[in-house]
Amino acid sequence: MSSMNEDKELVERTIKGEKEAFEMIIQKYQQPLLNYIGRTVGEHELALDFTQEVFIKTYSSLHSYKPQYKFSTWLFKIASNFIIDYWRKKKIDAFSLDQQEQDSDLPPLQVPDKEPSIVKKFEISELRERIERTLEKIPAPLREVFVWRHINEFSYEEMAEIKGLPVGTIKNRVFQARELIRTRLEEKA
Amino acid sequence: MKIKKSKSTWLPAENVKNALEERRLLLQASENLPLWQTPPDFTQQVMARIFPIRVPLSAWLTAAYAGFGSIILAIFILLLVAGQNFSSLLTSLNYSLWNFVRNLSPVFVKLFKVASLFVKTLQQFFEYIIKAFASLTTIINPQVQIIIITIAIILIAFSIYGIKRKILIGEKT
Repeated sequence: MSSMNEDKELVERTIKGEKEAFEMIIQKYQQPLLNYIGRTVGEHELALDFTQEVFIKTYSSLHSYKPQYKFSTWLFKIASNFIIDYWRKKKIDAFSLDQQEQDSDLPPLQVPDKEPSIVKKFEISELRERIERTLEKIPAPLREVFVWRHINEFSYEEMAEIKGLPVGTIKNRVFQARELIRTRLEEKA
Repeated sequence: MKIKKSKSTWLPAENVKNALEERRLLLQASENLPLWQTPPDFTQQVMARIFPIRVPLSAWLTAAYAGFGSIILAIFILLLVAGQNFSSLLTSLNYSLWNFVRNLSPVFVKLFKVASLFVKTLQQFFEYIIKAFASLTTIINPQVQIIIITIAIILIAFSIYGIKRKILIGEKT
């Protein structure tokens, strides 16, 4: 059975009152959700609380889930909205990028002049640590798509569905996130 | 001269190659970031919050009966051990139960009186409101009445919409 159909069956069983089915949903998605929320909010304890809240919200909204959509996309949409609310309450500007990106053209690749490659300066494990630290400092909307793409391994189409944005805009945003991380790493190097 | 020219076109190509290699390695590092782990009892924690364990009423009642029964039995045993006669014990128990009921009955009567008074007061209050509203409709002309009703409906609709929106924030799907 495909993962998509499996999820739909679990949702149906949960709606019918089978608690174990929702337990299976939690087991399946707790880690991807924690990694997304954790990397987006930056605090482990807060991320655990938020992940719990998202599952509770998901359970209470299960009746509004439409089976023609992918469950994981729907779940991450709830999580994304939850985080937007959190940013809104903390007065962090999470929306400025939406107004900026009207066109979906990718910016050109910046080619450095003779400078030594940053990746050659670090070992891969050190590079990972540096990426992790830099990730915390890039704008939240860019961080969100970077995590979805590289940690949750979502396709551009899935991310576009979650955010309700064109695929081109999402591609642009992921590219911006990568370039920003690279630039910040270069600055620190 | 020729060598110099070919070197100058060769260098940007080398730079592009390096830039692409750098991005490839960065991507590789990004895709292998360590995963955050959930605590082993995370699922149970969430499940406990969604489905709090509710003890059924029958279990509470059974526990209460058992407790009460044990206390009575303990008192009986204690009194018998202390040398009390079983028949006199039953008589005194019967007497104290009767006294208890007799003392409690005026309280029930008073409670009933208070409740009936409260119902009467509520009835009178609503009658007064209905009368006031009826007299108001005779004073104000029909056009103004329609305007007031329309404004009230709009206000109610907006407040319901506002409350609904507040509840649904974060659940936009």
